[in-house]
Amino acid sequence: MNPIFRELEQATTDQFENGELPKWLADPVLQVARNPARYAGQEYLIEILLDQIRDFDVYAEAGCCKWAYDHEDIARTLRWLEEKS
Amino acid sequence: MPIYLDCNATTPMEPAVAAIVRRFMETDFGNPASPIHDFGVFARAAVDHARKQIARVVDARPDEVIFTSGATESNNLAILGLIAEGERSGRRHLMTTAIEHKAVLEPFEVMARLGFEVEIVPVGPDGRFDPERIAAGLRPDTLLVSTMQVNNETGVLQPLAELGAILAGHDAWWHVDAAQGFGKDLASLGQGRMDLISLSGHKIHGPKGIGALIARKRGPSLPPLRPLMYGGGQEQGLRAGTLPVPLIAGLGEAAKLALRHHGERREKCLAIRAQAINALTALGARQNGDERHTLPHALNVSLPGIESDRAIAALKDVIAVSSTSACTSHTRTPSHVLLAMGCSPERVETSLRFSWCHLTDAVDWDRVTSILSGLRGSKGA
Repeated sequence: MNPIFRELEQATTDQFENGELPKWLADPVLQVARNPARYAGQEYLIEILLDQIRDFDVYAEAGCCKWAYDHEDIARTLRWLEEKS
Repeated sequence: MPIYLDCNATTPMEPAVAAIVRRFMETDFGNPASPIHDFGVFARAAVDHARKQIARVVDARPDEVIFTSGATESNNLAILGLIAEGERSGRRHLMTTAIEHKAVLEPFEVMARLGFEVEIVPVGPDGRFDPERIAAGLRPDTLLVSTMQVNNETGVLQPLAELGAILAGHDAWWHVDAAQGFGKDLASLGQGRMDLISLSGHKIHGPKGIGALIARKRGPSLPPLRPLMYGGGQEQGLRAGTLPVPLIAGLGEAAKLALRHHGERREKCLAIRAQAINALTALGARQNGDERHTLPHALNVSLPGIESDRAIAALKDVIAVSSTSACTSHTRTPSHVLLAMGCSPERVETSLRFSWCHLTDAVDWDRVTSILSGLRGSKGA
């Protein structure tokens, strides 16, 4: 199994338990992290999702380049994971 | 098909990188400056992701990564981009070393024609500049110090840690041309004192036509660069033009892989190095540059009695090698790097640069040495 799925699960659990990631967002991300077979070949988007989870910030601002992400970013990436699979 | 041993000129693209490039050329082709629909938003996400992948290699921030067409443009931006700051502040003294790539030396020549005072520091026979020579030359009005990380002809790693300690007490902007070492030697680029770092995608198994200038912030501000061209305000106003998302995503992937597989790539290169040194030593080769400071993937040697042009031609069906940098090899100009190291003209004319990577196939060194020995025997024929 690609270790990125385990990293995604760990980061999501950490942000949920110790950060501000809400349950309604953590749940679908954990579903991705725990289904590596379904998302095999989607490593590129999983990496983006992992970055977004690690840098989740309720008050993320969009500047010249984003380096914090809010719920809209994560929800969009989850949608891409379904659409682009 | 000869084995490619010219990886300092350019590297083969990683298959995973090629797949990413293809994806953003054929399918996800949006413009990141148009985040008003999903095409643009996804392109922007890809660019942001690449910025992070590149920044991680040198422990920088994503917003310190300025995309360019490659290290040549990055070098030009880092040097010529400081003209206005030099004129504004009255700091007109610049320093660099004699073994820099032409993409640094020629912008310095431009600066000299504009009235800046340029000081070029010599190097020793080991292929390294002496940080103390730079320390001795620093002045209150020194605007810029530009030094390479790894020499493109010899593969010699320069004493950047020592220079960083010297520059810690000085305001000069410090630019490092890391075209040959970014992603290959990780420790030397990690220090925060470096203000500007140039890199190229095609040197790390990424696409050609893309690179970056990492412009580290001092406090909240980027170095006081001015753009070299105008029209769009992209890249924080420093590099106008629509972002080439396929190339950027490919560069990001290449940077990620360089970081992730650094250890195993290094081991593979060291194994090839041992074979190369073993074979060439038997021919009486003299290494150009100090082996103790040479990166695992490059070897520059002089073979007494064998002119490099004849060697390259004779070997062309077995291995593809060069005698100097890719940017000057077509001009037949003697290597300014080896000459600066004090090598004799005869040693320069018999020099060969071998450079490889983790994707390099097995080399038939017995055949290589046999061909080279034959050349020596036929000298003057």
